[in-house]
Amino acid sequence: MNQPISSPYSDKDLAVMDSIVKRYPRTRSAIMPLLHYLQSIEGYVTETGIETIAQILSLESAEVNAVATFYTQYKRKPVGQYHVGICTNTLCAVMGGDAIYQSVLEHLGIENDGVTDDGKVSVEHIECNAACDYAPVVMANWEFYDNQNVESAKDLVDSMRQGNPPPPTRGPDRLVTWKEASAVLAGINDGLAHQGVQAGDPTLLGLKIAKNSKGGE
Amino acid sequence: MNNESNSNELEPLNRAERESHEVIDNGPSGFASQLKGFWVTFRTMFKKVNTVQYPEVKEATAPRFHGRHQLNRHPDGLEKCIGCELCAWACPADAIYVEGADNSEGERFSPGERYGKVYQINYLRCVFCGLCIEACPTRALTMTNEYELADDQRQKLIFEKEDLLAPLRAGMLLPPHPMYPDADDQTYYRGEVPGASPLQENIAEPNK
Amino acid sequence: MSIQEIKNQEITSSQGADSAIEMITIIVDGFEVSVPKGTLVIRAAEKLGIQIPRFCDHPLLDPVGACRQCLVDIEINGRKFPKPQASCTIPVEPGMVVNTQLTSPVAEKAQKGVMELLLINHPLDCPVCDKGGECPLQNQAMSNGGGESRYEGVKRTFEKPINISSQVLLDRERCILCARCTRFSEQIAGDPFITLNERGALQQVGIYEKEPFQSYFSGNTVQICPVGALTGASYRFRARPFDLVSTPSACEHCASGCDMRVDVRRGKTLRRLAGDDSTVNEEWSCDKGRWAFKYEHRDRLTSPLIRNESGELVEASWPEALAHAAHGLSINRAAVLVGGRSTIEDAYGYSKFARIALNTNDIDFRSRTSSDEERNFLAALLLGKSVTYLDIDKADQVILLGFEPEEESPIIFLRIFKQVRKRGLKVSALAPFTSRGNEKLKATVIKNVGNEVEDISKFALTNRSVILVGERLAEVSGALTAALKLAEQSGAKLAWIPRRAGERGALEAGAIGNLLPGARQVADPKARQDIERAWGSGPLPTQTGLSTDQILDALHKGEIEALLVGGVDPGDISASAIDGLRKAFVVSLEIRNSAMSEVADVVLPVAAVVEKSGSFLDWQGRARKFEAAVTNSLHRSDVRILSILADEIGRPINLGTVEKAAKELASFGDGSSDQKSALASLSADQAKIKEPGKNQAILTSWRLLLDNGSLQEHEPNLAGTAHPCVAVISDDRANRLGVVDGDLIKISNSNGEIILPLQIGDIDPRAIWIPRNSENSRPLLALKSATHSLVSVVKA
Repeated sequence: MNQPISSPYSDKDLAVMDSIVKRYPRTRSAIMPLLHYLQSIEGYVTETGIETIAQILSLESAEVNAVATFYTQYKRKPVGQYHVGICTNTLCAVMGGDAIYQSVLEHLGIENDGVTDDGKVSVEHIECNAACDYAPVVMANWEFYDNQNVESAKDLVDSMRQGNPPPPTRGPDRLVTWKEASAVLAGINDGLAHQGVQAGDPTLLGLKIAKNSKGGE
Repeated sequence: MNNESNSNELEPLNRAERESHEVIDNGPSGFASQLKGFWVTFRTMFKKVNTVQYPEVKEATAPRFHGRHQLNRHPDGLEKCIGCELCAWACPADAIYVEGADNSEGERFSPGERYGKVYQINYLRCVFCGLCIEACPTRALTMTNEYELADDQRQKLIFEKEDLLAPLRAGMLLPPHPMYPDADDQTYYRGEVPGASPLQENIAEPNK
Repeated sequence: MSIQEIKNQEITSSQGADSAIEMITIIVDGFEVSVPKGTLVIRAAEKLGIQIPRFCDHPLLDPVGACRQCLVDIEINGRKFPKPQASCTIPVEPGMVVNTQLTSPVAEKAQKGVMELLLINHPLDCPVCDKGGECPLQNQAMSNGGGESRYEGVKRTFEKPINISSQVLLDRERCILCARCTRFSEQIAGDPFITLNERGALQQVGIYEKEPFQSYFSGNTVQICPVGALTGASYRFRARPFDLVSTPSACEHCASGCDMRVDVRRGKTLRRLAGDDSTVNEEWSCDKGRWAFKYEHRDRLTSPLIRNESGELVEASWPEALAHAAHGLSINRAAVLVGGRSTIEDAYGYSKFARIALNTNDIDFRSRTSSDEERNFLAALLLGKSVTYLDIDKADQVILLGFEPEEESPIIFLRIFKQVRKRGLKVSALAPFTSRGNEKLKATVIKNVGNEVEDISKFALTNRSVILVGERLAEVSGALTAALKLAEQSGAKLAWIPRRAGERGALEAGAIGNLLPGARQVADPKARQDIERAWGSGPLPTQTGLSTDQILDALHKGEIEALLVGGVDPGDISASAIDGLRKAFVVSLEIRNSAMSEVADVVLPVAAVVEKSGSFLDWQGRARKFEAAVTNSLHRSDVRILSILADEIGRPINLGTVEKAAKELASFGDGSSDQKSALASLSADQAKIKEPGKNQAILTSWRLLLDNGSLQEHEPNLAGTAHPCVAVISDDRANRLGVVDGDLIKISNSNGEIILPLQIGDIDPRAIWIPRNSENSRPLLALKSATHSLVSVVKA
């Protein structure tokens, strides 16, 4: 039934959601950016949000819920203003990722997926970030902090709690908040895309060697 | 195969076979063999008599004698039978009838989800082969040594669940009652439940 | 299945059907097999009798390759796939050589490995599992498993079981994530209320927490679950497969004509499963057909009853009751009302009984709202060509007139939905509002209550279109005629779909005032002679009989003093029907204590469907034959009792057995061909409805699939998944009344009122829709009108 969408979101938010839906030839394709957009409003995916998306896309709430629970990037409970992901896959782990992970959790006094009491920082261990060349890698709101060690990681989370995190190693000139990052993932341009290094020296090292070597020797 | 053997049977016996079937008269030497036979009888007269004056005297059976079945209980009194019907499935005489039912929070008869609500063994059919005992996945069904299973009405020989259930021993509570605190069905099957806990008793009270 | 059969299937399922089918030959385990292009390897192997183990594969669902159990070795033109491939997702290719577990040690090892993996987290609770003994996982673990597990860790556990609806239980530990249930819900039923949630080791089937699995087709997921993850609440722990005696049967609930399987333990139906008939219900059934059967053993009548002098029904012997009934029926002018759930044999019994034993044509099977126009329409319908499910498969568009497929004939809904999903079949409906079913069919809904006749004539159809007319269209005068005209002018196929299983058969058996058996007109002397000759009877009554409404009217006036009824609920006809019945001498043939017992003078118990043999004619006119599933019942079919009753009256009808009735009816053949001229000309104009005033609305209603129907009694689990009982009003009206979704509104007229929570819907703004026979909403009794009348609608 073509009912008006009944939800507590503001008309502005609903208009943005509508514009997201219009980007796709098949409306269903908009589930993922819409979920990101919800996170940019509320910080995590709420039931209201799921039901609203279901209404907008004429899907069952169960179908939206299935997508929201599949991807770990969608959070079912509040995360910190800065969501820290510490890579514990093989390479990062042997380079110190496991140690960083343990010590940061201890330092903050939280469990995996936990949030500090002030709501500033949350931590989870995540799978490969495709930055093995900078291992061990810590991410905050999906931005890279390369070549970390236990101390630098602790300093990083401390600075986050104080509200002045350093800019990411690669990426924009300032670390955006979780909600801001979610809006970017929803496809809303924050104008920061051009900032920062895209591919650093270690990433291009192999290519450089290959180019310098003579004809495939 | 069959055809061959059948046609063989129909053929007349050959000579050698016919001779082997004839009664052989052994003449005087036969008398000695007869004496030998009577000697067995005579000797037996001095042996200890096996006959007992049943029912005044009752002999113990062999330890693994297949007698009446018993539905066992866990140490806290919950029934081991889960109503799975595997005994009925195994039964070659179709002597067992089981209906399962759902254990609910308020009314629990066995650990886990399911219990045997109706359990009947028809002793007019049972051949005491023990296949049901082998089939039972929870050792709920075993056989006792009780063999006095005669009666004057056919109906009485269909034993119901209450006739087959093991008696409550010390430390057991009459179901329905909840499981042992913090225990689940696995704990029960591993034999880790020692006996009824006072906690179970308290909760069991209103059910009585 | 022969190649020809597969070809035929392909032809019927592909809409074009002009292009020749390309056959591809492949080699499976050293044997050559030719299959149509696009066939999956697993099915090509089946054709050779080679069974590759599988869980997720289902011929009616899209391939998914979720369980990986069907791995086989494949090479194409000498090039081998580096790893074993899932045979349920790969279509055949020319030059393909397939080696299954029978010939390839690699495939065998792969299958054993997959089985071992699937069993790692599967609990060893087979003894308490309802699937135990008929479980594909159990069976294939035995036939294709390794026998030993190397896993010694702790199994992943979940809370077990959880209710995902009042009738479906989910045990996530047992689930092997084959996605059959989720694919069924999405692809077949269009109700994607269950999905695969979470990921990795925690992946699990689930509902959205607030929204239970309230699909009318949820039972099918229980049937196709290859493990015991989904089980039915009402069959929980009731029996083992070896306890059950299975009998093929037919569904008595609606005119869809489903093939069913009835599983009986010790004379009691414990469950019903959908049978497999590719031309009717494929492998599906609705939840009503599957789970509504406890009426068979609750409130049953066990002995005849007679009303004594003090007005009480008391038990009586058969001879006494029959004599009493025969006396009452023979001294008075009598008529016959047949319920909509008679088998065709029973309906024929009533038909012949009326004509011979009672010497009247006053018989009608339409124990519901009906019209004279409908009677003529039905007579004309029998002259038309039959329409089948296959016509829906091939249709260029489907028009639904006074018919809600999902609520009134769910298998037709599935069939239309299949084509909508597969090839975007165009569906249009004439309905007061866009129901959820119509939404799923993406139907164009023409919402113009009171103007149906004009709207019907506007449809542009071709000879490949199918018009599906529901029995409710009779409630709009002139609409049936318009539908018939539309079909004639466009060449479109027209089918009439009654809601009840027995109506189509009763029509053909002549259990109606204007027709004799075999679609012969009562008014046609030659047709009467045919029947007289066949029956060896004297002259048959010549006057066209009275219809249901006329019979009730005559009862009120005292013109008819006796009535024979077979399975009729007077509340289905009208609120005042019961009063008319009170005045008459009523002989009731019933299976259970019902409203009829209040007014009956003699009650004769008869057999329920499971206890008798017979057949229903489904909407296609196809006979759905069934045998007695409970063979030791003491109850007898209606036709047998009618035969004895006729003997008692002294005018025998000689229908001692169901078989005899079936044979005799079949011998009439179709007598309709040369009698078109005898048809009363159809014409009727639609009565204009007054425009509703400010707080008024035009009442509309239909029955929901799951409602207060008497065959659904004693099924709390089933009732738990009924669609909500709400009144649907337009956004506009809600604003005017100052109400929102869920608020109570009062619908009333001079006869009474109904109070229901409201739901805002896409409805004709002048109309209101309410369920016709649900709890709190029985307009026929409360308002003495079910549709097309003005009611006042205010906030309660």
